[in-house]
Amino acid sequence: MDRDANKKDRRRKMPGASKKMDQAVENGAAGTSGETPGAEPDSGLSPTLQAHIGRHVRAVFDEVAREPIPEHLLRLLKNLEQSGDK
Amino acid sequence: MGSLRAFGVSLCGDKERADDLVQETLFKAWNHLDSFKEGTNLKAWLFTILRNTYFSERRKRRREVEDADGTYAARLATQPAQHGHMDMQDFRAALVRLPDDQREALVLVGAAGFSYEEAAEICGCAVGTIKSRVNRARNRLAGLLGLEELESDLGSQGLSKTA
Repeated sequence: MDRDANKKDRRRKMPGASKKMDQAVENGAAGTSGETPGAEPDSGLSPTLQAHIGRHVRAVFDEVAREPIPEHLLRLLKNLEQSGDK
Repeated sequence: MGSLRAFGVSLCGDKERADDLVQETLFKAWNHLDSFKEGTNLKAWLFTILRNTYFSERRKRRREVEDADGTYAARLATQPAQHGHMDMQDFRAALVRLPDDQREALVLVGAAGFSYEEAAEICGCAVGTIKSRVNRARNRLAGLLGLEELESDLGSQGLSKTA
């Protein structure tokens, strides 16, 4: 028991060793996750699920974005565009 | 313009207030057109102005009345669903429960068509921050909607039908 604790302690004090350990862990994680290009590597969600969420976010957003713009805002925008042409 | 308004709604959860935000944004843009750099992204510029307007107003308002958490959620959740799909309503409610910064990042990147870089500029933070917010937003949504368990049941065929 005591000896094990000592071992752990010593390992913690050896920066080189722990670094190697971390690297091994990282490599292992990357190896098993099978990184897909284009997918978010940290999200932990499958591309299918990401796409599913993406469709819904767009649907909620587009629902509002496609509504007719109030008239007074359109007039204002026209002014803005005209001044941009100057 | 439509997407600027939709972004406003996603921030404040209220269409009328979003219209006011858009109007104020256009006025400010009009008055500060000289500070807009030719050749840069006009859309991103307008989104930035709208966002700054919203947050500075909210700070003022917060100082006056401590806005009870959930007011916004309640407001949006009671808006009638025009889709009629129950899952759209669930999704909207879940979206509202996200922390502001996560919802904002997800909307900018996932719906408004901005790159991570543009979204970072609009929010005044690092690109990595946006990426992690978007990831956290997706994970949180998946958790709120119980999608993680669903996924294994649905396999490859089921998910698309709810779109």
